Amino acid sequence: MNLLSLLIFTPVLFGIIILILPSSMRASFRYLTLAATLVQLVISVIIYLNFKTGTTFGGINHEDQFQFAQKLPWIDLNLGSLGKLQIEYFVGIDGISVTILVMSALVMVVAAISSWEINSNLKGFFALFLLLDMAVMGVFCALDFFLFYTFYELMLLPLYFLIGMWGGVRREYAAIKFFLYTLFGSVFMLLVMVGLYLSVTDPATGNHTFNIIQMMNPNNYTNGSVFSASSHATILGLPARMVGFVVLFIAFAIKVPVVPLHTWLPDAHVEAPTPVSIILAGVLLKIGGYGIIRICMGIFPDAAVSSAFWLGLLGVISILYGAFNALAQRDLKRLIAYSSVSHMGFVLLGIASGTAEGVSGAMMQMISHGFLSSMLFFLVGVVYGRVHDRDIYNFRGLASLMPRYTVYVMIAFFASLGLPGFSAFVAEAFSLAGAFKSSSVNGLLPQWMAVCGAVGILLGAAYLLWTLQRMFFGTVSLKGGEIWKIALTDINFRETAALLPLALLALALGIMPSLVFGKINDAVLAFVSFLQLK
Amino acid sequence: MEQLVPNISAQLNDVLQSLHFFVPELYLTVLFIVVLVTDLLFGKRSAKMCRLVATGGLLLVILQVINQQVVLPHDMAQRVFNGMLVLHHPAISFKLVIDVLALILLMYFAWDNKLKQHTKGLSDLYSIVIGSLLGLHVMAMAVNLLSIYLGIEFVSIASYLLASYRTGNAKSTEAGLKYVLFGAAASAVMLYGISLIYSFTGTLDIFAPQMQEGLTHVNGVSSTFAVGLVLLGIGFKLSSVPVHFYVPDVYEGAATPVTAYLSTLPKIAGFALLVNFITPLILFGTGANWAGINIRIVLSVAGIITMIAGNFAALWQNSVKRMLAYSGIGHTGFALMAVTTFSAAGLSSITYYLFVYGLANIAALMMANFFENNEDITNISDYKGLGFKYPLISVAFVVVMISLTGIPISAGFTGKVLVFSAVYDIYQQTHDVWLLALMATGAITTVVGLFYYIKIPLNLFLKRVEIVPNEILKSTNLVVFSSVIALLLIIFGILPHLLTKVL
Repeated sequence: MNLLSLLIFTPVLFGIIILILPSSMRASFRYLTLAATLVQLVISVIIYLNFKTGTTFGGINHEDQFQFAQKLPWIDLNLGSLGKLQIEYFVGIDGISVTILVMSALVMVVAAISSWEINSNLKGFFALFLLLDMAVMGVFCALDFFLFYTFYELMLLPLYFLIGMWGGVRREYAAIKFFLYTLFGSVFMLLVMVGLYLSVTDPATGNHTFNIIQMMNPNNYTNGSVFSASSHATILGLPARMVGFVVLFIAFAIKVPVVPLHTWLPDAHVEAPTPVSIILAGVLLKIGGYGIIRICMGIFPDAAVSSAFWLGLLGVISILYGAFNALAQRDLKRLIAYSSVSHMGFVLLGIASGTAEGVSGAMMQMISHGFLSSMLFFLVGVVYGRVHDRDIYNFRGLASLMPRYTVYVMIAFFASLGLPGFSAFVAEAFSLAGAFKSSSVNGLLPQWMAVCGAVGILLGAAYLLWTLQRMFFGTVSLKGGEIWKIALTDINFRETAALLPLALLALALGIMPSLVFGKINDAVLAFVSFLQLK
Repeated sequence: MEQLVPNISAQLNDVLQSLHFFVPELYLTVLFIVVLVTDLLFGKRSAKMCRLVATGGLLLVILQVINQQVVLPHDMAQRVFNGMLVLHHPAISFKLVIDVLALILLMYFAWDNKLKQHTKGLSDLYSIVIGSLLGLHVMAMAVNLLSIYLGIEFVSIASYLLASYRTGNAKSTEAGLKYVLFGAAASAVMLYGISLIYSFTGTLDIFAPQMQEGLTHVNGVSSTFAVGLVLLGIGFKLSSVPVHFYVPDVYEGAATPVTAYLSTLPKIAGFALLVNFITPLILFGTGANWAGINIRIVLSVAGIITMIAGNFAALWQNSVKRMLAYSGIGHTGFALMAVTTFSAAGLSSITYYLFVYGLANIAALMMANFFENNEDITNISDYKGLGFKYPLISVAFVVVMISLTGIPISAGFTGKVLVFSAVYDIYQQTHDVWLLALMATGAITTVVGLFYYIKIPLNLFLKRVEIVPNEILKSTNLVVFSSVIALLLIIFGILPHLLTKVL
């Protein structure tokens, strides 16, 4: 049994068990879900430990360099003049995917732990949770575009219901907004996918193929096809490859999210229940970044390089706009949502730089943000679960009420604002270094972008420290008075069990970034040299 | 008269030869009479008997159609009855799709409470449906203007009867009458077109060389006008813009199973007919000296407007049946996109797309029917919170809506991919901007479609209300059947080759 397939389909197995069990056993659903995520975590750690490194395992555009690969024929339609519709169940990982997989598995465990707060309709919740879990893992492993797209879209429905059924007051609005935004991006992605499929032939079989890696090789494009680089086809007067790149980029930029396509995110986060917020911030945003690296830039490197300036600009705008918005928020969860926009801007900036430092930084930022944003949303959930309020101005002096909680908040805040010794520092430093270096190495990004990015870190420190001061320091003063004081107990064992590993990992990655860099380095170098070929 | 005598034996021979290729239709004819006689013999209590006979007989018909598919060589187009009809693989696929959906419908009719309580009984309904099936088969095979008209009228008259089979209130009576009037007008327009074409060319066979000659020699405006009128008549059956306006009223007014019939079978047969009718015109078009219209542009424009009109109008509907009526118009537009390809891949994608649409639409109406039976509600806004009361059927409803929207994993998505692939392929060869516009419209209207389709899951699951449990659950048949269809939609979504092998 292939480890990746096991990783992807374990949740489905547990999901089916949950669906079969009678509702009278609903108390066990939580434990089953937790067990499923723990099994996944174990599998992902095994994968991580057995992941081989070296220049012969770079991956990216070399199919044979992918590890744990499995390839099975899936759909085989004979379309007459169109030839055969060749769709494969093709999964495999390289350095870009492996660390994200481990991160996602851990975030899923944390989300499962935080699902203890869910009390209604448990069967539905956990079944959807596990379906989402499967889809997420599938997206990071799929190497067939059709398979990727299937998993990608499969995430939408569970999320719609998870936000819509268990969310806050404006949950319907938030759920449909999220759904429409993502679908808008992905239907056009479908068109590009079909176009690519009809442009690319598998040299081994002569059929058209959805294989992403084959799509990266310019020699596989049929002469005269729409997306062939040599045919210089145009769509509505614009170069076809550029149009394809932009369409794919928009689809993933909605997921990242990149300003100005980010407006679904604050709504979705604020309305979503804590476990869903954690998954959303911790894992789903990474799909955007991952998709840009693997699909967008992988398939259209020429277009990516020529539009790197604009990608960088969007990254910088996201960093600054997100940070300024975060400064203005009263709702703690909204503040963290906007801080996500800001932090994910570094991912885009790093990728756009096209340097090894920048891309490594972007990867590191995705991992680091996965841990830290999960931690932050979990921490918000702790307060919200106790008093059902998260307005920053309604709390003061929490530090003396909840000392252990405050310690974790401080760790999360300091780590997020980029304190040396924590993962985000390494990540942002590398992204910015890449952006600085870019002008002298490949001339993709001007230096002022890196400067603006650095200002973003400063702003990050401002809103986080200010929040810390407002909510946690000073004398105790709560809007809800004595009732709140009693309700706001310090964190218990379950909560510690979720927070401690996240905090430790943020620290560990700060001190030993090689835990990530060691695994991703070959892939990043392969990716950068792949871009430079164009 | 004397000149005809030597021809008689040849004519007779042709007819006898043709009968070999007409077996399913012969079965249908016999079945029609048998159902009719059963009705007469068993009187008031015959409904169950008729249903049994009709479904059993239809199974035999399906076997015969499958037999045709197996026996007929793959690229053969057999003209039968002196060139009136053609039997080729696309036509057989269409017939198969129609018959399978009709089988589901035959079982479904009796499960609607309102239709069941009708004083007339359902026996007549079964004979009408079987009769209309014969017309639908003819439509799928017609290549002569006479047989085209015959097929359409066959189906139209059956549809009029069905639409006003049970008219509970003034509104549905009005809808029934409206349908007859519009239908009659559409046939008249089409007949006018046919007579014009005949007068231009002197032949009714659309593949005859005189047809091409005649049409190229007359004034371009005249020939365009004549062809346009015929297309309008076919468009009425497809419910495409600009002859779609009767659809919402009729669908809403008719009994729900009848709506399921009207929204699927005549539409699918209409597409088969459209494909047959435009094939010679395309052949002329490539012959260059055809002065008339560019069929691709006409169909593209109709497709784009139909997609936009149907999907956007559906946004504002509150009645489930009206919403599905408008969304059905949208699906017509999408399928028209595949017609514009004029390619074999396009053709096979249409049959797949329409079959999946038909399945999903019938299932959706079944479930709407279920809520009508149990809760006496027809509006989407009344579905609030019912998902927790009827979990199984509500989940199935969500799956069906997903398939209609075209999101993975569902057969609707695969259908969409197949249509897009077929259109893209032609776009790659011709770089025709219209095809690009069609695809972009198809993509945008998918998002629009989500917006109204999701209203049903939204009301079922996201709105919270106090639930009063029902003691007796009615219509469990509908629950089981629609859940099975929902499951099938998922299975065909994961493994589409199970379906394409058969079609």
